[in-house]
Amino acid sequence: MKNIYLIPLILSIFSLAVIAIALQLDTSPEMIVGDSMQARSFPIFLMILKLILIGILTFQFYKNNPKPIALEKYHTWGSMFLFLLFYLLTVYTDMFIGIFIVIFLMSILWGERRIWVAFLTATITPGLVFLLFDYVLKIRFPRGILMNLYYG
Amino acid sequence: MFEQAISAMASVVVDPYLLGLIFATTILGVIIGVLPGLGATTGAALLLPFTLTMDPVHAIAVLATIYVSATFAGSITAILINTPGTSAAAATTFDGYPLAQKGEAGRALGIAVISSTVGGIFSVLILCFAAPLLARVAYEFRSPEYFALTVFGLSMLASISAGGAVKNLIGGIFGVWLSTIGAERVTGIERFMFGNYELYEGLHFVPIFIGLFAISELLVQSKTVDKIIKTVSMKAVKLPTLEDYKKIWKTILRSCGIGTFIGVLPAEGATVASMIGYSEARRWSKNKKEFGKGSIEGIAGAEAANNAATGGAMVPTMVLGIPGSGTTAIILVGLMVHGLRPGVYLFTEQVEKVYQIFGSMFVANVMFMLMGLYAAKLFARVSLVPTQILWPIVFALSVIGAYAFQGQLLDVWLALIFGVIGFFARRHGFSVAPIAVGLILGEMVETNLQHSLKMFDGAWWMILTQPLALMFLVFAFLGLCGPMIFSWITKQKD
Repeated sequence: MKNIYLIPLILSIFSLAVIAIALQLDTSPEMIVGDSMQARSFPIFLMILKLILIGILTFQFYKNNPKPIALEKYHTWGSMFLFLLFYLLTVYTDMFIGIFIVIFLMSILWGERRIWVAFLTATITPGLVFLLFDYVLKIRFPRGILMNLYYG
Repeated sequence: MFEQAISAMASVVVDPYLLGLIFATTILGVIIGVLPGLGATTGAALLLPFTLTMDPVHAIAVLATIYVSATFAGSITAILINTPGTSAAAATTFDGYPLAQKGEAGRALGIAVISSTVGGIFSVLILCFAAPLLARVAYEFRSPEYFALTVFGLSMLASISAGGAVKNLIGGIFGVWLSTIGAERVTGIERFMFGNYELYEGLHFVPIFIGLFAISELLVQSKTVDKIIKTVSMKAVKLPTLEDYKKIWKTILRSCGIGTFIGVLPAEGATVASMIGYSEARRWSKNKKEFGKGSIEGIAGAEAANNAATGGAMVPTMVLGIPGSGTTAIILVGLMVHGLRPGVYLFTEQVEKVYQIFGSMFVANVMFMLMGLYAAKLFARVSLVPTQILWPIVFALSVIGAYAFQGQLLDVWLALIFGVIGFFARRHGFSVAPIAVGLILGEMVETNLQHSLKMFDGAWWMILTQPLALMFLVFAFLGLCGPMIFSWITKQKD
């Protein structure tokens, strides 16, 4: 099977999964819903519409035979991995430590050869953003190693 | 009403804080516009969290200013480095860059600045007159009409610029489904929450939009890190000569009309407007051979149309709550976040605020003209900021912006997840704008369908007996099937 058909396949599985989950939803008594719809009806209707469109899309692929899409560059996969790293760092250390490390690594990954430039970008950006949001917009950031030191 | 509108618009000019804000945002908007990849939509998505603590008028003025100034600024890089800063400036590269290569970059930019300003101001004037009239018509709307109108809005996704019709509709339906996550509004039944009570009130637009527009763009840009940018040298921006004006005034006027009309259509935007403005300029031109080689009519046609679409797109956004483009979807969210409910109420109860917003757009058009004329060369240098510095900064702004909206880490994770979803969608030819529009319209569709069913005791076909609702549904049908029927008829004739 050509990898272009993976898109309709994934979309179909997703739609069927939504229908299956929607069918498990509670139903409300007739006196509340009245002549209107149950909570499950609208999502199911949407997914049926979507499945019809996926059918048309598959037919279009079959007819036009589009070129398969090349795999992403390592920069893209690397950036996605950095998102995951950011999640772990934010949950287990601090959001700003996560931002600092991710900005630094992303600069290097994307081709910055001057370590000090990447370091400055990673330090100044979160610093300025923190000052703006904390002092001007009065946003309270999630607690972590750094924020515990700051908020006490 | 007229007097109130005029005084509200004039109040913008005498409010130094608002003027300062528009000035600063215009600079930011132009910078955002000249940075390839970071267009008006991404810029507005990133700035939305910063506007949360602002006064509603100031907040919407900031977002509208970003919209108009970034839409114009895309032309600077389109002309100087053959890379449109925004998709709306893609048509400008066809003639702007060839003219710049001939050593007339200043003239090309001058034409772009003047055409954009005329287009922008024309559309704001139309907005001022058309929006209250449309609001008066919308006053008669009840649930069946609103349901049909939102279906029409969703059907227009089929003709959005990027992606194919089917892909756009799939994206739109996915967006509508996203709006069903959370507690159902009538029965309170939890849908697709998987025990996560932070989702009880549904997905919030801000983190989703940051993900779909900003984070996904970051991942798209990660593929272009090796790209080398070559600039064309330019001394100064030159105002068009009398000879130039004689050549382009008809084109500008035509494109103003085209752009405003296309902008008004739900889900259409500046990109479609500029393409049609360009092709119409070519069709009506006496010098067709010049097109593609540096025609000033081509630049004027595309630029007047894309900026005219900005005011046009605000009409359905503010009157009907149906966004005319990706950026107006974000502006619509801004309106909602600040308690300005789009629709008739806005034009009857909060006229002053509405016209202050229109006045701000007018001022923003004048400001970007001045910046375009006197600082375009400086702004063009911004486009040379290395991607390896720019996009990590965008990452920081995105995650903190997503968090700042509600102070929930869940919003940050949602922004990142939807960034990845948006990236893969775009990689496979699906535009993310339909997902955003679907998410906004989803609640309107479901709620109005429920109300309509209750009104007609479950007889859904009674919706078709309402003349306005029937008209919108016929339009929706034509929007979806019209191109197919038309091509079938053409084939039969051939």
